[in-house]
Amino acid sequence: MTRFRRLPQGGRIDRAKPVSARFDGKALGGFAGDTLASALLANDQVLIGRSFKYHRPRGLVAAGIEEPNGLFTLGEGATTEPNVAATMVDLVDGLVARTQNAWPSAGFDLMAVNSILSPLFQSGFYYKTFMGPTKGSWMFYEPFIREAAGLGKATGLPDPDRYDMRYAFCDVLVVGSGPAGLAAALTAGRSGARVVLADQDSDFGGSLLSGNDAGHEAWRIACIGELKSLPNAETCARTTVQGLYDGNLAVLVENRSHLRPDARKGEARMLLTQLRAKTIVMATGAIERPLVFSNNDRPGVMLASALRSYTNRFAVAPDKRAVIVTNNDTAYQAALDLATAGVAVTVADHRASVSADILSRAGAKGIAIFPGSGIFDVEGAKGVTRVKLGGAHAVTIECDAVGMAGGWSPVVHLSSHGGIKPKFDEAAAGFVPGGFPASHYGAGAMMGTYGLSAAIAEGSNAGASAASYAGFGKTRPVYAPEHVTDRSYAILPTWAPAYSAKGKAFVDFQSDVTIKDVKIAHQEGYRSVEHLKRYTTLGMGTDQGKTSNINALALMAEYRGITIPEAGTTTFRPPYAPLTMGAIAGRTVGAHFRPVRLSPLHDWHVKNGATFIDAGLWKRAWFYSWAGATPETAYVKEMELVRRGVGLADVSTLGKIDIQGPDAAEFLNRVYVNGFAKLPVGKVRYGVMLNDDGIVLDDGTTARISDNQFYMTTTTAQAGEVMSWLEYLLQCHWTDLNVQVASLTDEWAGMAVSGPKAREALQLAFPAEDLSNDALPYMGCKDFPFEGVTVRLLRMSFSGELAYEVHVAADYAISLWAHILKAAAPTGIKPYGLEALASLRIEKGHVAGLELDHRNTLDDLGLGKMAGKEKDYVGRALRFREDCQSPERWSLVGLELMEPDKKLRGGSILFAATDEIKGHGRGYITSVTWSTELNTFIALGLYKGGLGHEGEEIIAAFPLKNEQARLKIVSPHFIDKEGARLHA
Amino acid sequence: MLERRSALASAKPYVGSTLKIAERPGFTLTQVAGLSPDFETKLSTVVGPLPETVARAQVNDARTLFRLGPGQFWIVGPETDDAAAKLQGQCAVTPLNSSRVRVSLEGAPAREALSRLMPVDLHPSVFTPGGVALTGIHHTPVTVHCAAENAFDIYVMRTFAVTVWEAITDAARLFADRS
Repeated sequence: MTRFRRLPQGGRIDRAKPVSARFDGKALGGFAGDTLASALLANDQVLIGRSFKYHRPRGLVAAGIEEPNGLFTLGEGATTEPNVAATMVDLVDGLVARTQNAWPSAGFDLMAVNSILSPLFQSGFYYKTFMGPTKGSWMFYEPFIREAAGLGKATGLPDPDRYDMRYAFCDVLVVGSGPAGLAAALTAGRSGARVVLADQDSDFGGSLLSGNDAGHEAWRIACIGELKSLPNAETCARTTVQGLYDGNLAVLVENRSHLRPDARKGEARMLLTQLRAKTIVMATGAIERPLVFSNNDRPGVMLASALRSYTNRFAVAPDKRAVIVTNNDTAYQAALDLATAGVAVTVADHRASVSADILSRAGAKGIAIFPGSGIFDVEGAKGVTRVKLGGAHAVTIECDAVGMAGGWSPVVHLSSHGGIKPKFDEAAAGFVPGGFPASHYGAGAMMGTYGLSAAIAEGSNAGASAASYAGFGKTRPVYAPEHVTDRSYAILPTWAPAYSAKGKAFVDFQSDVTIKDVKIAHQEGYRSVEHLKRYTTLGMGTDQGKTSNINALALMAEYRGITIPEAGTTTFRPPYAPLTMGAIAGRTVGAHFRPVRLSPLHDWHVKNGATFIDAGLWKRAWFYSWAGATPETAYVKEMELVRRGVGLADVSTLGKIDIQGPDAAEFLNRVYVNGFAKLPVGKVRYGVMLNDDGIVLDDGTTARISDNQFYMTTTTAQAGEVMSWLEYLLQCHWTDLNVQVASLTDEWAGMAVSGPKAREALQLAFPAEDLSNDALPYMGCKDFPFEGVTVRLLRMSFSGELAYEVHVAADYAISLWAHILKAAAPTGIKPYGLEALASLRIEKGHVAGLELDHRNTLDDLGLGKMAGKEKDYVGRALRFREDCQSPERWSLVGLELMEPDKKLRGGSILFAATDEIKGHGRGYITSVTWSTELNTFIALGLYKGGLGHEGEEIIAAFPLKNEQARLKIVSPHFIDKEGARLHA
Repeated sequence: MLERRSALASAKPYVGSTLKIAERPGFTLTQVAGLSPDFETKLSTVVGPLPETVARAQVNDARTLFRLGPGQFWIVGPETDDAAAKLQGQCAVTPLNSSRVRVSLEGAPAREALSRLMPVDLHPSVFTPGGVALTGIHHTPVTVHCAAENAFDIYVMRTFAVTVWEAITDAARLFADRS
């Protein structure tokens, strides 16, 4: 029966620092330097979970990021994190882990019945089983399948941990700190280049960390020591380079979970770095491949390199005997190291012969070698008990563990993120990078260079080249330790098992995909590797097929009778390894989810009972508590205030633009459809501007401050767009015009004073100014000093009442607002909010953002007559396209509700009275409000044929609530059609 | 005189021993732009030498000048500055005193805190005193001026000042004193 034990000495663990964690509710001891995986093995916890589909007993397969089986749920409550590979988790005090996808326990799992039902679960079983009997059956089955499938479960609680992000820059980024990576980083660092070395492991050294050669270790320590002494080098452990993007942008994620960070102190559990590097050296190493044979998923069957890692790095080894099955020479490193640790080792080698050197060294360690042999079957229910060999030596061996050495797969993910497909290298028997952009380099095992000295030389060369590319010339190369003999590889690739019993032979452990599933996919026509992946789910787990993809596509190539390069690979996409969503979100959560824009009057609104509503990024005062507790009641009162007395509204969100220069008037004359060339100083004019496609871009007002200076206001929604548009026109089209523009949106605050008592209110506020109709008529403007500050007064109206806008430098907005309210208190002035402001304009028939939706023409909005006939303006040519002039276009209408017991809803679809209520109708309601003047619901809308149907009765349908109401098409100007109030 | 109120009047202060983050009020900001070929000559007559590039500020006595782009400058002067008045009629003069809030970061961790906010290479050999970055923090445009080795002034749009302040102080939480 599989047993593992902690070796009495050795390893990189610190035996002076015991660590206590909890696993499935029980204490789990280990030492500093252990991973959760090594601690489990050291505690002889070989059966660690159940497989995804069949719920077969599973143990660890790997010792690194490629681990397919050892996934656990870490943490408790809100900090729960599912599907974490135990091999990547530092064992620290207080760590809590539990098995997943097994009930009641991994040892006794009731869902193991799935294994008996396995014929049902072959590839494509979802599609074969759950698509009938009726068309919608899948929708019925899906929730049950989702409940049954999956691994760990995420918590729905808010994550209390903090995730941070930063931007960084360097000359040379080196990914991976194995021998090649260390050599590259140090060589580049010696040139003076700013170097970043990132490695996903908790320590630097890559494969050297799993070795036991003192000379290699001394070399590693020396390299790291020198690198860390360089002021221009930054070393990042536990940092995975998750993706490479255009412009040499690399996304790095550092995991700091082992530090038990305190979010209240600002300590992050993970730090995401957006690193822009001038050059990148990839030294990402290679991952050992498993072999495919009967029952190759029994707990205790793992990669030979993993056995070596656990033995050398973590001092955990099989209790008595291990069998290693291989098709190449590198497995003998594991065999020799296990033997050195006191484990009896037998090697079954697929190859007919083994080199004399290996035979000699193995013989000296008492290792039995069976050439021309492979594994026929693995026995044992919850762990390996014995192995049956097939081939030249058909013997049965009692053992604790099995090591699989199927060759190495270079980690080509990052080199592929930019779209360069990897290529198959026959000598390496794996895919290597298909090429690099000019500033990228590769070195070491990821290039198929498996020898230590060769990898170091390649790394050093890459580091020097990268530094040179980044502009740093002189450097010193890094040399391999003395007397290094590069290991031989001598692989005889084997994909399908040569000798196999009838047990399940797994290709993908995590997704429970067997060789039979690959065969079925082939038989059923899913032969492309992309189809194979999706039909069988192979490579779709959290490990993304790091141990399975190459075996699978090689098998498919074999079945199809094509070469592996012809079969190709699936596409590698970021992230390279599973990534917590929190790391992506970073600090952009909660109140920091998006920027919030505040009016200069915001603090006053907060203190004085405003309820806010989001309008784009703005927080706008929606309504005030003086008028009511709900918007439905408050806005009506606020409307009445404006219609009967005077109200004060914050309009600071309007776009405001300073336009100066001798050609400013000509510029505006071209931008607006109506004339501005002759606008007198001291006057304001309403204007509409079009895009060059003839569609309305925005409306607003512009005041002439002096001969060469204008003050433009835009709608809140289009402020940025109009500013950009004006700059674009000046910089690209009309370079002959001598005009400068500057945004004043943040500089000036605006407040609307509206209502029959508006003049009276302002006269009280500014007693020194003559605000009579003669002195400041409708559409007049003036600047005047008040209490040391310039006040800009513009007489214009959005509500339809006598109204003014008072503009002032934003820093003084609150004190001026408060002054107006106080001074004009005898008029009964009060603030009114956005809801009332928007409703008042509907009564007046003013269009706003809901109508100016970038789909309507000037004529659609009833503004066609404004356009100058003699002058040119942006959008004029295309405005007269045939379709833009069609009388059948949806155009602006007013709508009155004819059924008093009903209400109108924005977005309702409009139909003619005789239409069937179906489809897109003849238009829709854009804006709706209760009219305090008419005592009914009124609306603005767009209707096919527009006011050509004035007086007709139509239907408004709101399918979401199954509502219909009868309306009458009327003029959109519901009040004061003559404009008497404006001119009062 | 109307009372002047900062956009950050209600913002929660940041308290840090090694890193100071605070609003630095008391300045005038004037945007000037050319309307004649000799604009830069006229401008330099009034305010002194001009910055040669967008990436460098020019400090002339109490004024700091920023080049925003072709023919456009910011003049950041003391709270009372006659530059705008002197330039009136010679170019397009746009007072922007209320439009920006100046936030300063000062202290050894300032670069690290800023690296969490903006995609600018803040290495001391790259972003040196006098350096200027027209960049973005929390999705909003900002102008960042390296005033000294570890001292930075950030000019933030007024209407985004609170949200950017909160983003800055949150990014710098690691360096804040615990209350």
